Amino acid sequence: MFTERFLRDKRGASLDTAERTRLEAAISEVKTFAARKIIARAGEPLDQSTLLVEGIMSRYLDDRNGLRQLVAIHLPGDFLDLHAFPLKVLDHDVATLTPATVAIVPHSELEAIAEEMPQLVRKLWFATLLDAAIHRAWLFRLGRLDATGRVAHFLCETNARLFSAGLSDGRRFALGLTQADLAEICGLTTVHVNRVMRQLREEKLCIFRSSLVEILDPAGLAARGQFNPAYLYNNHDVEHLSSRQRQKS
Amino acid sequence: MRSIPAGLEPETEPGIASAEGGLVFLDGPDGIAKTMTADAAARTGQSLIDAAAIAEAQRANGDV
Repeated sequence: MFTERFLRDKRGASLDTAERTRLEAAISEVKTFAARKIIARAGEPLDQSTLLVEGIMSRYLDDRNGLRQLVAIHLPGDFLDLHAFPLKVLDHDVATLTPATVAIVPHSELEAIAEEMPQLVRKLWFATLLDAAIHRAWLFRLGRLDATGRVAHFLCETNARLFSAGLSDGRRFALGLTQADLAEICGLTTVHVNRVMRQLREEKLCIFRSSLVEILDPAGLAARGQFNPAYLYNNHDVEHLSSRQRQKS
Repeated sequence: MRSIPAGLEPETEPGIASAEGGLVFLDGPDGIAKTMTADAAARTGQSLIDAAAIAEAQRANGDV
């Protein structure tokens, strides 16, 4: 089943059996891509949307000098360009960061679902609203946090997202990103990220080694990144207290 | 009812600069995180000092 992680553990939006069966039936094709491949470019007309089954993908914008800013990363279970259904073109490029498997859903199938199952459409809408909530958190991260806070916030967010997808135990998860990727996500240089990762390790908050993240002090890392998982609308939060809860205690 | 601050306030806490591996890192105040070459850092620092002197003179003259 390719849709098993889509909206898994999301508050009020998890798919029932009939909805999941319908979405599975809407998949026209499953494709695999190597790491670092562009799969959609800004401005190209699109007649399909992409559900990420395995791997990590990004949405990004390049500045005039070709320097890249990642504006979103997508994890297994994300319907990463569902907004292309009404928009028909993207305003950014989409690329794989790791080897990835995707399920293709033609927009004609989404049209049919809209006719047949309005409650499923509401859940697809939920998924795009969730993307928007994550974008807001990324704006906060870049606008208000220092270097260590940005990386801490990103690692807490990724842990919570993977936890809801069933891919983190709440403290440990695989993350096939490089420090250069983290730099492009957090608006830092690679050497700055390297320094921050060492600082997080020395403060016994988190270790990122060999594509494995281990959060040693979940509450401490959340506090360092001012991370509150409410915007992810998970049914079950990871074990740590959010920074807001921690400040109250 | 809580009052909401209108706009960002000027920062009253300094950023912290440190050097490592031949580069300068500026962390904070919140929202600031930059890596600079030594030359860029020195020129930025001088520019900040010069601007601070002008700002202090403006305040002393009541020109604010």
